[in-house]
Amino acid sequence: MRRVFVAGIGSTAFGRHSGTDIEALAIKAGDAAIRESGVSRKEVGALYLGNFVAGPLVGQEVLAGLVADGLGLGQIPCTKVEGACASGGIAFRHASLAISTGACDVAIAVGVEKMTGADTPTVTAALNCAMDNRADGVSGLTFPGLFGLVWKLHAARYGTTRSDVSSVVRKNKANGLRNPLAQMAAHIDDEAILNSALICDPLRLFDCCPVSDGAAAVLLVSEEVARACSTPMVEVAASVQTRGSARIAGHPDLCSFDATVAAAHAAYDMAGLSPSDIDFVELHDCFSIAEIVDSEDLGVVPRGQGGIWAREGRTRIGGDVPINPSGGLLAKGHPVGATGIGQIYETVLQLRGAHPNQVKDAAIGLTHNLGGTGVACTVNILRRSDA
Amino acid sequence: MPDAFEELQEVTVLACRACGALDPGPRELCTRCGSTDLESKRVAGTGTLVSSTMIRRPAAAFRGEGAFEVCVVDLDAGPRITGRLMPDGTRGRGTTEPDNVEPGQRVTLTGQRGEILYFAGNQDE
Repeated sequence: MRRVFVAGIGSTAFGRHSGTDIEALAIKAGDAAIRESGVSRKEVGALYLGNFVAGPLVGQEVLAGLVADGLGLGQIPCTKVEGACASGGIAFRHASLAISTGACDVAIAVGVEKMTGADTPTVTAALNCAMDNRADGVSGLTFPGLFGLVWKLHAARYGTTRSDVSSVVRKNKANGLRNPLAQMAAHIDDEAILNSALICDPLRLFDCCPVSDGAAAVLLVSEEVARACSTPMVEVAASVQTRGSARIAGHPDLCSFDATVAAAHAAYDMAGLSPSDIDFVELHDCFSIAEIVDSEDLGVVPRGQGGIWAREGRTRIGGDVPINPSGGLLAKGHPVGATGIGQIYETVLQLRGAHPNQVKDAAIGLTHNLGGTGVACTVNILRRSDA
Repeated sequence: MPDAFEELQEVTVLACRACGALDPGPRELCTRCGSTDLESKRVAGTGTLVSSTMIRRPAAAFRGEGAFEVCVVDLDAGPRITGRLMPDGTRGRGTTEPDNVEPGQRVTLTGQRGEILYFAGNQDE
């Protein structure tokens, strides 16, 4: 397998883009990534586009070809991939495979979603398409509900408290204040969190990420092309995709997502690294409790101690392992198909030493993107090429 | 008209005639051995609560019901299954107070409304 490098990145702000079409968001991010790299757009050999619900929410499909057309790319294979909230991560992994296998020397991964134009019942119905509706949908379960189940079990088993989980919300909302792309950053205290509406006990409104529009893109290249680029060299040390149970009752343990555990193990093996080598993590905090469980599943925090580590500030910038210095999904937002690529964007900026919320001496970063009820997962490890 | 509540003591699951694996279904084939020879089998509606949560913002299709509590139960027969906890009788449907059954406590099937299975915490615990 050939080495894979990030030559360019681009992103729109995450939030509300009411006057901009979904293609325009994706093209803006993709164009920024191509321009930054200095690579000719005619050299791009493949495009992978991550999107979840453009069909039901904005009535537009064939986005991969539309976006390639708008970017002025050649008659290349353009492929849309879907894995609910992991759609972006899956697009990234396929672009990475296109380079590592030698199928092409330049590939672009673009993620995009436009959600804020639809009313809440429509968005909820669209998001519920990510559930196994023959099995879990019957009971009336929702995605916040899944994480309510997870939280209640984590609390019963490990003693995780409301205050522990609030530490995650406070940290990520505050991290987002320094990120110009973030949608819902804030200084908030435990009382404000406690006063927000109950959604699915014990989960409250401020434990949930917002509904967002946005796009992000990454241009991946072979080593030879990377050496000719002016952007600092960041290597994709591992890119892994796994499947977990499609059904909530199929998860052997509701305090863990086995797709994450498997992806993390494979990614560490592929990169020849261990969790202690990771300088910072951008993970899938769609809900506050998810960050606690994900941090344990990724092995960067000991099993059962995710709440304690959050409370003790060990996951803040400057802590043992900074988690979501970008603000994560909770503060930055979650334009579903763009999220996984947005995490790569943030990680590359950190590794270039150019992030507005910089982790000191960041050399190795990990991203984690989880889809549906844990049915799809990607874990990527990126490293500075001098690290 | 909402579906009528039907009292039940047993849960119907799928059993694989080839390898004996049980699955809550629906399934097209046995995910353990690949056999398509599946049959319905009734097993005891007794088990242990894995977790539960009160859904206060249901999806549109369930909005008419008010809040309800979804649960995951490990049946004594083996399969893990998704259902609901019975609303406390004194509060009736649409309660906003969660049931007081905690993870690890014993629960028993009370019945079914439409496709939804309902469980309740055992009285003596």
